[in-house]
Amino acid sequence: MKFPGTARRIAVLLAASALMAGPAEITASASASTRHTGWIRMAHLSPDTPAMDVYLYSFGDASARIVLRHIAYGTVSIYEAVTAGDYSLAMRPAGASPGSQPVLSGSVMIKSGRAYTAAAVGPRTALRLEVIGDDLTTPPGKALVRVVQASLKHWAVTVRWDGKTVASKLPFASATSYRPVSPGTEKVSASAGTGDATSTITLAAGTIHTLVVLDGARGLEIANLEDAAGSGHDPSGGAQTGYGGTAPHGPGSPVPWLVVIGAGALLATTGGLSLRRSRLGRRLHSGT
Amino acid sequence: MRIRRVALAVFAAGLVVIMTGAAGLLLTRHGSAARHPAPAGVGAMPAPGGPIVAPPQSAEPRPVARPVSLSVPLIGVHTRLITLALTRDGSLQVPATTSVAGWFAGGPRPGAIGSAVIAGHIDSYRGPGVFFRLDELRPGNRIYVRRSDRTTVMFRVTAVHRYLKDHFPTQTVYGATPDAELRLITCGGAFDDATGHYLSNVVVYATEAN
Repeated sequence: MKFPGTARRIAVLLAASALMAGPAEITASASASTRHTGWIRMAHLSPDTPAMDVYLYSFGDASARIVLRHIAYGTVSIYEAVTAGDYSLAMRPAGASPGSQPVLSGSVMIKSGRAYTAAAVGPRTALRLEVIGDDLTTPPGKALVRVVQASLKHWAVTVRWDGKTVASKLPFASATSYRPVSPGTEKVSASAGTGDATSTITLAAGTIHTLVVLDGARGLEIANLEDAAGSGHDPSGGAQTGYGGTAPHGPGSPVPWLVVIGAGALLATTGGLSLRRSRLGRRLHSGT
Repeated sequence: MRIRRVALAVFAAGLVVIMTGAAGLLLTRHGSAARHPAPAGVGAMPAPGGPIVAPPQSAEPRPVARPVSLSVPLIGVHTRLITLALTRDGSLQVPATTSVAGWFAGGPRPGAIGSAVIAGHIDSYRGPGVFFRLDELRPGNRIYVRRSDRTTVMFRVTAVHRYLKDHFPTQTVYGATPDAELRLITCGGAFDDATGHYLSNVVVYATEAN
């Protein structure tokens, strides 16, 4: 299996270089939270290919939107938030003129609210650009983990986390799907017969990780990338963050005031009646 | 005569009570108006232009210290941060006092990868709370979070939305993000006197400015 899921193998488009002039003015970074935004990060995962400069262009726009300089083997950029749409990517030898012919180029459609990793993979003689989709949701209380195998020295690598196999004999230049695991701080190992690597990593609840197996100076190395993070358990619904002291309020009930008026009327009537009676009595008394 | 005097007094008292009731009735026929925030002193700052050169990601996730205080100079917010958890019914716990904001410790820390959440009250029973002027924020405005290791991380507002609590977009607000983001949450919209709660939430979205 090559890159699964939304993976797209992208043809090398040498013709695209004709469109590409030098990088000019670049618009501001897009909002990461508004509806029409997605994310992309760039990676160099070809062990025998020298460092490269990576350019991201809005499709049909000759001015580069993002330029990453001197991306060497094993480097993965942070995610860049960009407006959803079609983009083209070009990779040139580090320091090469922005107008020069790219070593590698391709296109990617970035959907709103989605994240992608664009990686130069394979051996130098068969370099290709892979774009894979990155997950942004975890099952409640779980972490997600996947493995990318970028060791050219070892054609098949098995990766275990907390004793559980998360990649079995994974071939060079391929990736597993994400799988949910119980969160924790545990031992991770990459084995290929020789040059095995182990380290301890933390996979927290609500986080999404990519483990990249690399050729190191002495055998295999494991790079732990945090692709995304949320909470182990999202709060449900909104928050009750106000008591209304500054809110507009409707008129209160008129009933208490009406009761007061009624009581007043009763008093006045009683008083009035007694007054009348006493006057009447006096008149009667004086009349005899 | 004594009876006559008493009757007169009762009659007069009755009239006074009627007038008091009528005055009370008339004076409370109008609702109290909302208190409006004072206009912001500084206009919204535009997002920076120019080429964006992203630094390569370090292999291991960077450790980030616990947040201790929040500053939003444009709307006069400077508050220490308490920690918040989930309530028994699974909703977000809110600060017990209206003068401080709280950070949801069940989620990412501000400046780490992911969507960090800070909630504060718009008001108390009597007057404005710590996030009274939150809905004045506009894209580009700056938010600062100071951490226990004395480092400060700056965020820029990307969007401000108001949602009915009945249609709160949990995934958009609390869901995982691949970059360092911040959410400031308070109440807004109409106040329901029957339940004693506002009907809406105001959510400010921000991303780390690097």
